[in-house]
Amino acid sequence: MTTQLHKTLHEDIHLFGGKDVDLCMNCGTCTVICPLAREEGGTFPRRIIRLIQTGQKRLLIKSLDPWLCYYCGDCSENCPRQANPAETMMASRRYLTSQYDWTGLARLFYNSALTEILAIVLVGLFVTGLFVWFHGPMVLSTPVELNTFAPVKWVELGDWIMAAVLSFFLLTNAARMIWNTLDGKQMFRISPLIYFKAVPVFFDHMFTQRRSRQCGSARSRSFWLKHLLLVTGYLSMLVLVLILLRWFQTDRIYPFYNPQRLWGYYATIALLYPTGAFLISRWRRKEPIHFFSEASDWIFLVMLFLTALTGIMVNLARVNGFPMATYVIYVIHLAIAVPMLVVEVPFSKWSHLLYRPLALYLVSVKKAAATVSLKTQPETAAA
Amino acid sequence: MNTINNSQHDHQEPRIGVYICRCGGNISDVVDVDRVAEVSRHIPGVVVAKVHTFCCSDPGQNTISQDIQAEKLDRVVVASCSPFLHELTFRGAVQRGGLNPYLYEHANIREQGSWAHKHDPAGATAKSIRMIAAAVGKLQYSTPLDQIRLPNHRKALVIGGGIAGMKVAADLAGRGIPVLLVESSGRLGGRLNQWNRVFPTDTPAGQLVTKLLAQLDANPLVEILLNCKVTAVKGFVGSFQVTIEGPLGPSGAMTSTQTTIGAIVMATGFRPYVPDDGEFLYRKDPGVITMPEFIDLMRGQQTGAGELVYKGRTIRSIAFLHCVGSRQIDGVHTPRADGKINTYCSRVCCTTTLQQALAAKERFPSLQVYDLHQDIRTYGRGHEDYYVRAGKAGVVFFRYHGDEIPRVELANGKHPGEPSLHITFKDYLTWGEELTLDVDMLVLAVGLMAGDIPDLINMFKLPVGEDRFIQEIHPKLRPVEISVNGVLLAGTVQGPMNIEETLNAAGAAAVKASAMFLKDVVELNPYVAQVDADLCQGSGSCVTQCEYDGAIAMVETQVNGKSVRQARVNPGLCVGCGACVAVCPTRAINLNGWRLDQYDAMVDGLTADIPAVAAATS
Repeated sequence: MTTQLHKTLHEDIHLFGGKDVDLCMNCGTCTVICPLAREEGGTFPRRIIRLIQTGQKRLLIKSLDPWLCYYCGDCSENCPRQANPAETMMASRRYLTSQYDWTGLARLFYNSALTEILAIVLVGLFVTGLFVWFHGPMVLSTPVELNTFAPVKWVELGDWIMAAVLSFFLLTNAARMIWNTLDGKQMFRISPLIYFKAVPVFFDHMFTQRRSRQCGSARSRSFWLKHLLLVTGYLSMLVLVLILLRWFQTDRIYPFYNPQRLWGYYATIALLYPTGAFLISRWRRKEPIHFFSEASDWIFLVMLFLTALTGIMVNLARVNGFPMATYVIYVIHLAIAVPMLVVEVPFSKWSHLLYRPLALYLVSVKKAAATVSLKTQPETAAA
Repeated sequence: MNTINNSQHDHQEPRIGVYICRCGGNISDVVDVDRVAEVSRHIPGVVVAKVHTFCCSDPGQNTISQDIQAEKLDRVVVASCSPFLHELTFRGAVQRGGLNPYLYEHANIREQGSWAHKHDPAGATAKSIRMIAAAVGKLQYSTPLDQIRLPNHRKALVIGGGIAGMKVAADLAGRGIPVLLVESSGRLGGRLNQWNRVFPTDTPAGQLVTKLLAQLDANPLVEILLNCKVTAVKGFVGSFQVTIEGPLGPSGAMTSTQTTIGAIVMATGFRPYVPDDGEFLYRKDPGVITMPEFIDLMRGQQTGAGELVYKGRTIRSIAFLHCVGSRQIDGVHTPRADGKINTYCSRVCCTTTLQQALAAKERFPSLQVYDLHQDIRTYGRGHEDYYVRAGKAGVVFFRYHGDEIPRVELANGKHPGEPSLHITFKDYLTWGEELTLDVDMLVLAVGLMAGDIPDLINMFKLPVGEDRFIQEIHPKLRPVEISVNGVLLAGTVQGPMNIEETLNAAGAAAVKASAMFLKDVVELNPYVAQVDADLCQGSGSCVTQCEYDGAIAMVETQVNGKSVRQARVNPGLCVGCGACVAVCPTRAINLNGWRLDQYDAMVDGLTADIPAVAAATS
């Protein structure tokens, strides 16, 4: 069998943050030490590193291994060559994200922070422009009339358009991921029943990240909790903004204990606390997962943090009766939230919300399919 | 059974002292030493038998020296540990007491007694007594011996003018010893003249040669003979008669000179493995070259020189293949003409390959460089750096198994400029997957082979190892000496070494040679053969049997006015093996210190009917 060697693959991975791949001498320490790899037959991170070193691009794109790693950093800590296998896994996740994306934007954003920032600024200016030219009357008396300034039905329409566009990109990218990893043909040979039976795996991992709890010792115990908190935070916001916007964006001021306010406050805390903690950890390089920060990592956390911060400021300004402040901060809030979603969800770091559970789903499908073919093997042999 | 008695010899009654060592319990915990002493006192000839906790200690040794004076002892036995440990110690003690040091015998009742028979104290005790009886028996026939003293010619010959030979010559001359340095080519420096920069310092090889040359030039004690060859050697340590012929080659008339030399250092080096025609397409495709050829190619290349061009081809990709001619496997590799394969590791090729791969990558950054190895053996200080740096620079490593040699074929590239070589191999860093590489150039990292020196091997009777290199006496304890006394080894004549190791070996050989010149005479131990002129009938069997050229020879001599042929021993060449003793039909030859009558006496001692022994074993 001839394996096509892609000479520039390791240079490519370098651009995505895998800067120490060439230091690896393939000893395999990283792989024996990884509790997650053990469960999956013990192939990564070494296999991924080797694929990069020898330029086996097709096999790398096909691989789901990068998504099975949650970055505890044990491998990097124990690497005798300081080749940072954990960061190589991270870089290959970024690389895979850019490979799944058919628009080429992901590649552009990951390789140039300037382009990513520029895209965010442009989308932000576009949102600001919409408000500058199309906002409703600004009522400057109390109570604040936010729904007059920004009528909820128009905002809702915008939400849904955005959700549709983003879903389109994200889902087409995910389809490419499935196509790549299941090898096209194999995809149709697997029985639909297997696909169906594995669906719970997808949601299980999407909401709980259960597997990350089996990560190695270098990972702090609270990381999983913070991440879980973050997930509940943005899911809350997704529901409140997309489905319950007419209930959530009101001019009426409910009492403090009303679910409409409590839920909002919970979501704010669930977003602010983990993102804040992660930012500090990245700044101080506290946890192995935060030792190396690419521009894309900073941009994602800062944008998420600012979105939550401006969101709560809109609420505070409105409840306390500052109309002008409410309107201005509301525009700023959307000028941050929208570009964050547009850039991050389908083309950058946030796409992992879909890719990671999808990878675990596909692994489980592949395993089930392999078991089935094993069971049917003796029959075909006999025939 | 014989009973020991004095009637077997007629000289004056000997006075023998026997000293039995407890060895701090090592012996006395098993052997009943007091009983041994008691019985020993009854062995005829023994006048003193004492037990000491540590005979080798100062008080122990003093007891022996003092007893020799006080008790008028004329022979001594110490029953203790192995003679390898303390025979010389007690010879010294005996000498200090005023006796000839060879009137001493050593009975090993620890290694061969208490340690060997830990679970049989009575047996060990009886055996100890018998061993002492044998030693006493042998001593009765001992005569005073003196070390053989031969004249020592204070001049060294170094054969081979490579880095090892130059270093030996420089070191010896630096210590005031005249040196004759003989080199068969027209230039000093040897292989280093072929190399570019050498690891681990990346020093230009020429610089090392120049430095040593300066040392040699500055010292008038060094005589350098270029284009010359050693063609004959006679004699032994301290006085070798060496014939040197030269100059070789067309220029000048060949002359032959003879000179007398005290010690000889072999520094003839190695030769690189030359692949067979067609081995990895060597000599079949111009893109396949050996490491020395690649180093030569790289010598002229400047940093940022654009593209590497070789024989009109632009080289865009290179693969380096390790272990060519090294670590060969029986049944996998084709043997050489002598039927042998090179099973050894050549030690220098891994680091050389990494160094050259790195150099190629640094000079031509767009070059694709691949490295195919079995293992990376960067064992020396600073060697691993090349590995790390080569990896960082983008050299891609593959690992094959020794019994699955990579296959090299001509690539089907129809167009000029396409890679000409197609390499197929199983890469065990990628789970044994079969991979292929198309490259423009394949560099064979060839190993080291023993130098082609059959004449010198015959002339000096050099011991040749299984790997064709010259073999030292002991790889750890006597690393630069060989079984030929007065001939030393320096560098790769002995086996694969890098330059550091070669210079270390050369330094060691120079020190060993210098030590030989500390005295004006060469002192050899006296255990050599001696012919009894009264008994020798001139059969000549001894000469036929002798393995050491010139150690024993037939000479014309006058006996009672008649001319007869008799054997005569050259004590400088005799090693005391005893082969001549065994074949002499008239028992005319004896080994000094181990004469046949002494063996008889030892056997008598071992089998003697000693009542106490019988009691101990019953």
